[in-house]
Amino acid sequence: MKYIILQRALNYLFEVHQIDTQLLDGKVIYFSLQDLPIKVNFVCTNERIFVTNNTDATSDVNIKLHLSSFLALIRGQSLAELLRQDKIIIHGDIKTAQLLVDLLQQIEFDFEEELSKYTGDAVAYKVGKIMKKFKSSDNSSTSIKDKITKFIIAPKLFH
Amino acid sequence: MKKTTHFGFKDVATEDKQGMVRSIFDSVASKYNLMNDVLSFGTHRLWKHYTIATSNVKVGDKVLDIAGGTGDLARAFKKKVGYSGQVVLSDINAAMLSEGRKNLINNGTTDVQFVQLNGEQIPFVSGSFDCVSIAFGLRNVTDKDQCIREMYRILKPGGCLLILEFSKTDIVLLEKCYDFYSFNVMPQLGKIIANDEDSYQYLAESIRKHPNQEILKQMVLDAGFGACEYHNLSGGIVALHKGIKI
Ligand SMILES: C[S@@+](CC[C@H](N)C(=O)[O-])C[C@H]1O[C@@H](n2cnc3c(N)ncnc32)[C@H](O)[C@@H]1O
Repeated sequence: MKYIILQRALNYLFEVHQIDTQLLDGKVIYFSLQDLPIKVNFVCTNERIFVTNNTDATSDVNIKLHLSSFLALIRGQSLAELLRQDKIIIHGDIKTAQLLVDLLQQIEFDFEEELSKYTGDAVAYKVGKIMKKFKSSDNSSTSIKDKITKFIIAPKLFH
Repeated sequence: MKKTTHFGFKDVATEDKQGMVRSIFDSVASKYNLMNDVLSFGTHRLWKHYTIATSNVKVGDKVLDIAGGTGDLARAFKKKVGYSGQVVLSDINAAMLSEGRKNLINNGTTDVQFVQLNGEQIPFVSGSFDCVSIAFGLRNVTDKDQCIREMYRILKPGGCLLILEFSKTDIVLLEKCYDFYSFNVMPQLGKIIANDEDSYQYLAESIRKHPNQEILKQMVLDAGFGACEYHNLSGGIVALHKGIKI
């Protein structure tokens, strides 16, 4: 189920932010978050991204990192810097990895606005619940962004 | 010597299978929806819902549903692709296709095309669809490899194949219960509700003859798909295979 949620979330975010994924067309990216049970292939093709659990397929690049480094990347930290600090392991075509990071960094999360477009959908329901919880405790937008990101990639943490 | 294939547990001449499958679906067409709900306790709707959720189909896409029968997937796909997209509901059997047409109209779904076709020889040009699906149909097709190759051919580069089909569970207790249910309860329900025990006996047998998850995955890869994964549903009683043409 988490693969479907991740696939929907990614495609949705790329679509609403009109982020062109064509530069990644035909690329297969193995992506693993080492502190979470997340090992997926992103198959970028036909103007969309498929998230598959079949990680034995050959990939153009393998990216392994911890959640904290992933969040740092999304917040704009440079890939080169994380590589220099050994916080990310990349095997294969580094240009593809950089392209993926560039796309992810283009996503401007404005969750409350986006949420309203998600009506009638399980993701929206869960995100909505989390938003309410966060609103009453912690309002900083960075924190909300981190938590939503965590939800998208590891929904079980919020059950 | 004549080539043979299986029809349920029987061996029949390869050229006869298609006609025999046709008469099964001629006979069950009018009660098909009701029987589906009763026999699966409604679970087939969840399996189909999962299939749609995983499809990654978007507004404007072209989708072909093969062996689409009563049109459950076609209707859901139509909602996803919107007016700018196109959905084709197809089936080899005219009776099933006309049930599908009736269902879609009754549900207010218009703008779906209907085509009577054999999944082994799909009459569309290569590279014309974003997604092709076949739900509970592949096990009835005589030459499954040929059908998968055809689905590959008509997909655009990057297109997605979805095969929803009964499969094998490796949970021993579940398998035992399921066997008992399939061979003892299902045909009897078929007899009571649809007055057709034989067709539901065939249903149970054809499921057992269908390739398991790993074999079907290999068949999908052999047809040319660059990636294939499967998701077991209801403990593997059903599996969704997803192939991507890369
Ligand atoms: C069990 S029904 C599935 C209907 C529908 N997809 C669903 O999930 O409810 C199987 C369908 O496969 C169709 N079928 C059998 N052989 C076929 C073939 N060679 N090409 C296309 N359709 C075929 C039958 O006519 C029948 O409608």
